[in-house]
Amino acid sequence: MEKKLDKLIIDDTEYVTEIPDHCRKPYKCVPDPSEITAFIPGTIVEIKVSEGDSVEAGAILLLLDAMKMHNEICSAKRGIIGKIHVCEGDSVQKNQLLISLIYPE
Amino acid sequence: MSIMKSVNDFLTRLSSKLKGGGDKAIEKQKKKGKNTARERVEDLLLDEDSFLEIDLFVEHSVKDFGMDRKELAGDGVITGYGKVHGRPVAVFAQDFTVAGGSLGRAHSKKIVKVMDGAAEAGIPLIGINDSGGARIQEGVESLCGYGEIFYRNTKLSGVVPQISVILGPCAGGAVYSPALTDFVFVVDGISNMFITGPQVIKTVLGEDITQEELGGAFTQASITGNAHFYAKSETEAFNTLKKLLSFLPANSNENPPVRSSIPPDQPLGDDVIPDNRRQAYCVKDIIRGIVDASDFLEVHKHFAANMVVGFARLAGQPIGIIANQPRVLAGVLDVDASDKAARFIRFCDCFNIPLLTLVDTPGYLPGADQEHAGVIRHGAKILYAYSEASVPKMTVIMRKAYGGAYIAMCSRHLGATFVASWPCGEIAVMGPEGAANIIFRREIAAAENPVEYRQEMIREYEEKFANPYVAANKGYIDTIIRASMTRETLIKVLSRTGLSRKGRPHGNIPL
Repeated sequence: MEKKLDKLIIDDTEYVTEIPDHCRKPYKCVPDPSEITAFIPGTIVEIKVSEGDSVEAGAILLLLDAMKMHNEICSAKRGIIGKIHVCEGDSVQKNQLLISLIYPE
Repeated sequence: MSIMKSVNDFLTRLSSKLKGGGDKAIEKQKKKGKNTARERVEDLLLDEDSFLEIDLFVEHSVKDFGMDRKELAGDGVITGYGKVHGRPVAVFAQDFTVAGGSLGRAHSKKIVKVMDGAAEAGIPLIGINDSGGARIQEGVESLCGYGEIFYRNTKLSGVVPQISVILGPCAGGAVYSPALTDFVFVVDGISNMFITGPQVIKTVLGEDITQEELGGAFTQASITGNAHFYAKSETEAFNTLKKLLSFLPANSNENPPVRSSIPPDQPLGDDVIPDNRRQAYCVKDIIRGIVDASDFLEVHKHFAANMVVGFARLAGQPIGIIANQPRVLAGVLDVDASDKAARFIRFCDCFNIPLLTLVDTPGYLPGADQEHAGVIRHGAKILYAYSEASVPKMTVIMRKAYGGAYIAMCSRHLGATFVASWPCGEIAVMGPEGAANIIFRREIAAAENPVEYRQEMIREYEEKFANPYVAANKGYIDTIIRASMTRETLIKVLSRTGLSRKGRPHGNIPL
């Protein structure tokens, strides 16, 4: 079975070739610090902040129960809680957005 | 007991042992589309009537959890020696019909015995895995068994070829014996390998994944690269295994078996590849145009397809081929391709198999994902493997050989025995487009018509460097040959380079 040929650019030269599916997945190398996401699937045990709160870097935002552990989810930087997307007791998927933070310039 | 009575008694005991887990369990095995361990060994793998079984009467001595009342035929594994196409091998086959092929102390001792036998005789070891895992009733004794097998897999690495055939479940610690061996076979719908199964993943992480997606045959052959050969049936797997053995010596002190020379079905013409360096083609067509009878046994066919590796013969002499595949990802080097090539090169070096490298690569795959996946660390393995290898190393540059990838693909600088280039070979730091953009950056920016000027500069660079003559002037390339002369030339090289090195140069660590 012939697969569709695509273009791949290396050192400004455009090659006509096959690109396997797993090479097409977008790759996010630096996480966005304003998006607090679940690094593991689990349950939200406790939310320690409210929308509009100012938080310091390292402040505990919520507790995520996963792997029989209460995992402390912290803020990477000083900022303001923009929106809380989950409630206590919610089951969350891996990489699900939990809290959006606003960082002052 | 009279002699005849004892003989009859023996025959009764024997027939009961030969039945493994009994009719019901055999029927269950068959329903899954699987052969029994005995059928696999005696009918599918070994030459007829060549099997010499040992330790059939071994029994376990476990007393806990009601095990003292359980008789397990052969303790769930068949072991012994036999022949494949007239050449001796050591073999063990786990018998799923007996306590799920679970590995207990006696079971592992039987495997260890044939492993030691393979080492002593200097013959290949073939393991057939079909086991539910550790025999939990035996506790640490079972773990001890795995450990002793892993230890021997490692000590045998690079001494005799070790081949694993996964014909059922192979989960948890059990996966590591196959992973330490040189080649792993899997069969569609039958093989399953994973450290933690779908159930555990569901419980712990809440992620849903089927057994097949997680560690089925095709997953292991394509995504993880744990398996080297993927077959549609058990019969196909064993036929490929026998073919693989036909390229290999019995041990690292011997040379691989030479046969009579057969010309390729479709010899190469001079215009076998597109002259536009941006155009793709399938390098396997080139390989088939060079090797005996156009017969190429590809290893890792579904994994890192931008690099092609496998066995073939040249004038009857087995060789290992490593080739960039312009058809996939333009033939770039990346993390997986580096691992694939490096391990194959090291296997060939262990077993006195000369290397032929076919080069057409634009360089390394750019991207943050590659960098973060460790392309530096993985890419270094190719350099290490080629530089370390002391078998004859022949290199043919077919078209592009750019930058670091030129060096990595068995260049003269890494100790190649012989380097040839086709007339369309381009040995340069990078492709003309990229090079012109850097060298003439200021001139292009200042030009009245930058687009036109850039094209002119690309042409200039092409004329100057996009050829094999600069490298040939320096002696980095031994000769420039037409594509149609490739086979003839390589045969000449092979006939002058002897395979004199003996002994175990190194093991074949899983890379």
